[in-house]
Amino acid sequence: MLSISILEESPHHIIQVKGEIDASNSVQLDESIRSLAEKGAQSILVDGSELEYISSAGLGVFMSYLEEFQEKGIQLKIFSLSPKVFEVFRILGLDQLISILSTKEEAIQES
Amino acid sequence: MIKLPAIHIGKLSFLLAILVWLALLFVDMVRLFGVINDLNSGIIPEFTWILEILFFLTVYGFYNYNINKSTKNDFINVIWRAASTGLAASVVVMLFQLFYRLMGDSKLGQDPFLMNFFYHVYFAMATIFLVSGAILWKNLILYQKTKRVVKQWQTFEFALLLAMFFIFFNKNTLDYSFIFGLVILVGLGILLSANLKWIPYLTFKEKWKSLLFLFIIILSTTFLFLQSNGFSNSQQNYPINLLDNLFLISLFIFIFIYALFSFLVTLFNLPTSSVFEQKLTEAINFQRLSQSIQPEENEEQVLDILMDSCMSAAYADAAWLEMSKSESSEEVIQERWIDADTRHEVSHLIEKTKTAVDWATETKPDNLTPLPLRIDHPKFESILLIPLIVNKSVIGRLILCKEVRDGFNKEMVNIISTFARQASIAVENHRLLNQAIQNERYLEELKIAQRVQKALLPVKLDHNDSFEICAYSNAADEVGGDYYDTFQLDEHRFVLIIGDVSGKGTSAAFHMSQMKGIFQSLIQLNLGASEFMIRANAALSRCLERNHFITASIFILDTASNSFLHSRAGHVPTLLLHKATGKAEYLEVDGLGLGILRNQQYEKHVEEKVFSYQSGDILVMFTDGIVEAKNHKSQQFGFERIRSLVEVHQELTPKEIQIKIIDSVHDFVGGDGLIDDDYSLVVVKFN
Repeated sequence: MLSISILEESPHHIIQVKGEIDASNSVQLDESIRSLAEKGAQSILVDGSELEYISSAGLGVFMSYLEEFQEKGIQLKIFSLSPKVFEVFRILGLDQLISILSTKEEAIQES
Repeated sequence: MIKLPAIHIGKLSFLLAILVWLALLFVDMVRLFGVINDLNSGIIPEFTWILEILFFLTVYGFYNYNINKSTKNDFINVIWRAASTGLAASVVVMLFQLFYRLMGDSKLGQDPFLMNFFYHVYFAMATIFLVSGAILWKNLILYQKTKRVVKQWQTFEFALLLAMFFIFFNKNTLDYSFIFGLVILVGLGILLSANLKWIPYLTFKEKWKSLLFLFIIILSTTFLFLQSNGFSNSQQNYPINLLDNLFLISLFIFIFIYALFSFLVTLFNLPTSSVFEQKLTEAINFQRLSQSIQPEENEEQVLDILMDSCMSAAYADAAWLEMSKSESSEEVIQERWIDADTRHEVSHLIEKTKTAVDWATETKPDNLTPLPLRIDHPKFESILLIPLIVNKSVIGRLILCKEVRDGFNKEMVNIISTFARQASIAVENHRLLNQAIQNERYLEELKIAQRVQKALLPVKLDHNDSFEICAYSNAADEVGGDYYDTFQLDEHRFVLIIGDVSGKGTSAAFHMSQMKGIFQSLIQLNLGASEFMIRANAALSRCLERNHFITASIFILDTASNSFLHSRAGHVPTLLLHKATGKAEYLEVDGLGLGILRNQQYEKHVEEKVFSYQSGDILVMFTDGIVEAKNHKSQQFGFERIRSLVEVHQELTPKEIQIKIIDSVHDFVGGDGLIDDDYSLVVVKFN
């Protein structure tokens, strides 16, 4: 189960993901990020505090925007990940490519 | 042994009948000679009677055999046979009369022997007609027989048999006992004559034919009967009376009554005949519709039958069939007696009618029933819309048009909706069957894919005496994205690789085969571990989809120096058990998954490290399917469980350790729980 809600805290857009991201629902996450990028969002923050699990398909979604966002100067940050989920990012090495921060404040501050 | 020729009952009885008749003729001629010459021939009448009965029986035997064999439910043929026999008998008798009229008072015209001969011929003709008629009637009476009717017929036959012998009892006089016997036989005959179930099955044309034939039979019977009376009245010319026989007279009456009943019932059936035919056609159409279509046939054949059936059931003047291809456009697949212009005019009129629009936009197709409409069109005044519903959605509609106003009554609408439902079921079954066949084919293809993919994993794992190795892989679906391989570089150096494509299923399987191709090429270049990953990343970046990546671990073993060079590309860390301490640890090497950074930047994100090992140390490589296997509480199997399992079972062989780990993963997930990702495990134990 995955539920996604989007908050706008200018100039940031916060995507709250709740539940589990796997192959069956990773498209939802992809659509949310894509729609924000198309709307011209410059800073996308993903609130992972209620993310319980992410599969490789979910990681693939974040991964697929790396180059595009770098070119367009869009910031993508993830914050408040549980240690277990963070471990998944870390094993893959994504923590070196995406800013993964411990709190929302840090995420906002850093930008 | 003398081989007896097969006895042909028909021919035998025919021959016997002729012989008996000749004997009868001879006996009577002798008697006549005696009477004329005042000589007592000494032949008692009982002798003639016995021959007469024998003649009845042989003729009966001949026809019983002959007719039962040749006629089966061909009523017109049955009646025609009776009529033709009657006609032939009558013509023969008429020819005799003509002969006598021409002869007048000449000597030949008065010759008693010739008259006696003709009398016997008449007797034979009448018997043949009556007996064959009775057996033909039997076929008609016993059509759709019940046990009761069969019993009645048997009683009648038995009574007729008794009637043959009655002559010994009353000595050929018309007394009360004769009349009593006659009344019983006629009563039975009338009772049987009520069985006329064959008549409705005649078509209109056949009814006319049968009326004609029955009329001929009635005429022949009457004529022959009157003739028989004529002979009886001039009895003095004949030495013995053959015709005033209870058997023959009862048969005369029976044949006549049944022919008369049939004639009248057929006559009165004529006006309703079309209704019965219509119902019969409907039943046949229904049966045709309910026969499921074969997979190689198409739906149009069923729809074709549906159109014909509905048109004939409603006496429709025109019709067409629209199948909905998509939401917006409708495709006309069949037209009957209507041209495109008229059809467009009528369609337009339908679209203007409010009830038809409501009907067409009904949200629950199950509730749809055929809708009769009145329209204002110069040619067609009433139409009927019939929905075709397959799997709860309207796949099309049939439109019937009639030139009269309010042309569709309730019965028609009922039968037509039944037809439409039946056709829909046939179409639905056909579609389901095709779908099932298609699915079967896909499954077959997947099995082939599975076999091909299994072959991509090594059967034999390269190793030498310095270490033991075993590996296991299982896909969540038919095919998966996990991969492991080994390669011997030289006498002491081996490469071990484990890899995992993101996602699972068919797409993962295709990427896995690409990974194998790339790994197999690179492995032979004798590269360092991180150099291997950098090259692999470059190659895979060109062929992976944007949101797919691969994780892999590589180990370059040197059994001469008891060490290995290790690099990790985003793969789950590998466990190394130290025999010396009895503790296991996950190897700490940083590295980014393959295909994530598709440029030179990747070089910065991969490293390699050298680890040394000792005898008894165990290396456990696996994929995330094992770590992420979940139980019903959504807990993951996790790294720690693997670590403690290996620590506990460190004394076992690699194969046993592998089995322990996989069994405990299955136990953890639960009996009926499924591990919904591909998982693989490679266990190496150093000697």
